[in-house]
Amino acid sequence: MTAGAWLCLFAPLAGTLVITLGGARIPRDGAGWISTTSVFVAFAGAAWSFFGLRAHGSENGVVSTAWTWLQGGNFKVGLSVFVDPLSTMMMLIVSGVGGLIVLYSIGYMDGDDEERRYFAYMSLFVFSMLLLVEGGNLLLLLAGWGMVGLSSYLLIGFWHERESAVAAAKKAFVMNAFGDATMALALFILIVHTGSLSFASAFSNAPLLSSTTVNFVALGLLGGAVAKSAQFPLHTWLPDAMEGPTPVSALIHAATMVTAGVYLIARTHAIFEAARTIELIAAGTGALTLLMAGLIALVQTDIKRVIAYSTMSQIGYMFLGAGVGAYANGMFHLMTHAFFKALLFMAAGIVIHALSGEQDIRKMRGMAQALPWTRWAFLAGSLALVGLPPFSGFFSKDSIIAAALHDHWYGVILAVAALAGAFLTGLYTFRLYFIVFGRSDGPAPHTHGHGEGPRTMLLPVGILSVLAVIGGWIQFSPFWHPLTNWLEPAARTLGVAEPTNAQEAIASIAAVVLGLAGIGVAWALYGARRRSVPRLQLLQRALEHKFYFDELYDALFYKPAAAIANLSRRDVEEGFVLAAGPDIGETAFDAGRGVRRLQTGLLRTYVFFLGTGMAVLAIVFLLAK
Amino acid sequence: MLGPGVAWYLGVSAFLFSIGALGVLLRRNPLIVLLSLEIMLNGANLALIAFSRHAGNGAGQIFALAVMAVAASEVCVGLGLVVAIHRRRLELDVDRLSELRG
Repeated sequence: MTAGAWLCLFAPLAGTLVITLGGARIPRDGAGWISTTSVFVAFAGAAWSFFGLRAHGSENGVVSTAWTWLQGGNFKVGLSVFVDPLSTMMMLIVSGVGGLIVLYSIGYMDGDDEERRYFAYMSLFVFSMLLLVEGGNLLLLLAGWGMVGLSSYLLIGFWHERESAVAAAKKAFVMNAFGDATMALALFILIVHTGSLSFASAFSNAPLLSSTTVNFVALGLLGGAVAKSAQFPLHTWLPDAMEGPTPVSALIHAATMVTAGVYLIARTHAIFEAARTIELIAAGTGALTLLMAGLIALVQTDIKRVIAYSTMSQIGYMFLGAGVGAYANGMFHLMTHAFFKALLFMAAGIVIHALSGEQDIRKMRGMAQALPWTRWAFLAGSLALVGLPPFSGFFSKDSIIAAALHDHWYGVILAVAALAGAFLTGLYTFRLYFIVFGRSDGPAPHTHGHGEGPRTMLLPVGILSVLAVIGGWIQFSPFWHPLTNWLEPAARTLGVAEPTNAQEAIASIAAVVLGLAGIGVAWALYGARRRSVPRLQLLQRALEHKFYFDELYDALFYKPAAAIANLSRRDVEEGFVLAAGPDIGETAFDAGRGVRRLQTGLLRTYVFFLGTGMAVLAIVFLLAK
Repeated sequence: MLGPGVAWYLGVSAFLFSIGALGVLLRRNPLIVLLSLEIMLNGANLALIAFSRHAGNGAGQIFALAVMAVAASEVCVGLGLVVAIHRRRLELDVDRLSELRG
């Protein structure tokens, strides 16, 4: 069982190493297959530990330590993996969906100049994420956390000759580093107060800590989660991250990285429950983000950016669910989201691929004729995203809304926000669908003849289409909920987040009706074009500027920093430091020129000075006597 | 003790030393400079022997012998240099040997 977890963890790393060390000895297409195999081996390992865990019935989790990694006094950290229901579920999602995405990349990246580097990074990314979810203590989790940031940096900036890609990579890295820092601070506080970073001790000690301490710890963890999951206010890196190749976007959005925040909240729920205020702030952040991202998605014109904002919005739902205490529902949505979001990205990738890199949806109308299968796959993903029954999103999203409803007055506010988000989801998703696949008046855009792509691209899309449809059937509260039961030992849903049947029904009906309303509006505006899109200059401009967050951060952080840097360059560096060097040298030269005159080279003057010096010394000694 | 007091000897010694020192400082011919050096050394020797007599202790005389030995070897080296300079047909003038000028 733990052997499966170790296999799962190190298979992708082995893939990276083989590709990296093999270098040019590996054929170009071989790298893709090595990477894919390594990730599917990881999936096999994950399945092994999943079934092992079920068979052994040790639901409280097993820690398997390879060796002591760090030791300082009483503080000890082992290189260990933690196998419990939560981590096995994440392992399955990460390696399963990740494997499909890597397989898809083989076709998508075919012919790129640096395929080997790409696949080495992909495996590394999956390894980092697996380290994050499997790490047997908080320090390993943080290590995985940082490595996910690194891998995302490498992959977002994969096309490094493109300036915007490099800028996006840096942005993602800096924002994530901010989250890493707050998380590290939280862990420091935890070490000081509990002397350990093991999950067991951290969680059993969390309720015993003073409320200030535990609030700070939870806040630090939340900072990390918010940065990694691209939630308000650290969300601006996610849309820019679309500069990476499309499968990378799929990997970041579906299997790895952005889901880490939700996982973190579920994993450290004991700490968040001890700091309930912070947990509710997490839920509020999720609600705010899902609304904001839904609104911004309405006006985006880049196909990948629309999907990126929808991810942000869906992660908002997960935060909301985890924040109100319905961890299982959050994780359930994470799973279904992984299916349909990977599907949407891959389908979008096929469109982009067919149009040789065109990403502007205004130039895409009428893709349905050219790419019939992709159209159906995209439709399935869109319906799952909007959450219509029987597609997977329906089961997971509505249970989150229902869970929020149960919790006091703020729960109602959160639920209303989530329902508004459901309307927006319908609107922006089908705006995208109707624009890209809707009927076209003019000539269809010119596709480049390679159809819908090679089989390696179509197979994962097919599998994910099926999963996007049926993936949600695993749990339909309140009738059956195996997932909640499975996760119960690891992250038990709070009592306040267990909705009544009536609430479930209200949430489901309201969400579906609103989702349908969104689709209807989208149909009227973009599908049938019965009505023209309303012109709201001010709002539209605000949305196109993504609520001016980039401008705000530019003014708040970048401009002052640049101003200080320029000032110190001009006044300190150029004015003082640079001028001081030659000045010192010049002074030394002057002194040297003066002293040089004494060195006449005439023996007689030396003797004279010697004698005079002796005489002076003698007189001084005599007088002093 | 017969003869003049130690002060006289010291006077003569200082006189000899001064003559030597002035010779070293003022003359430019290396031979004369060497000669002046000898005179300085002998002035010093005279002082040593005078003090030796004055203190009734032989150590000063031994010291004077050592100085003579050093002086002899120094003259050897010095004269050797003078001969070498002459062989290379350079002018016998210490002021011309100013390679060490800064």
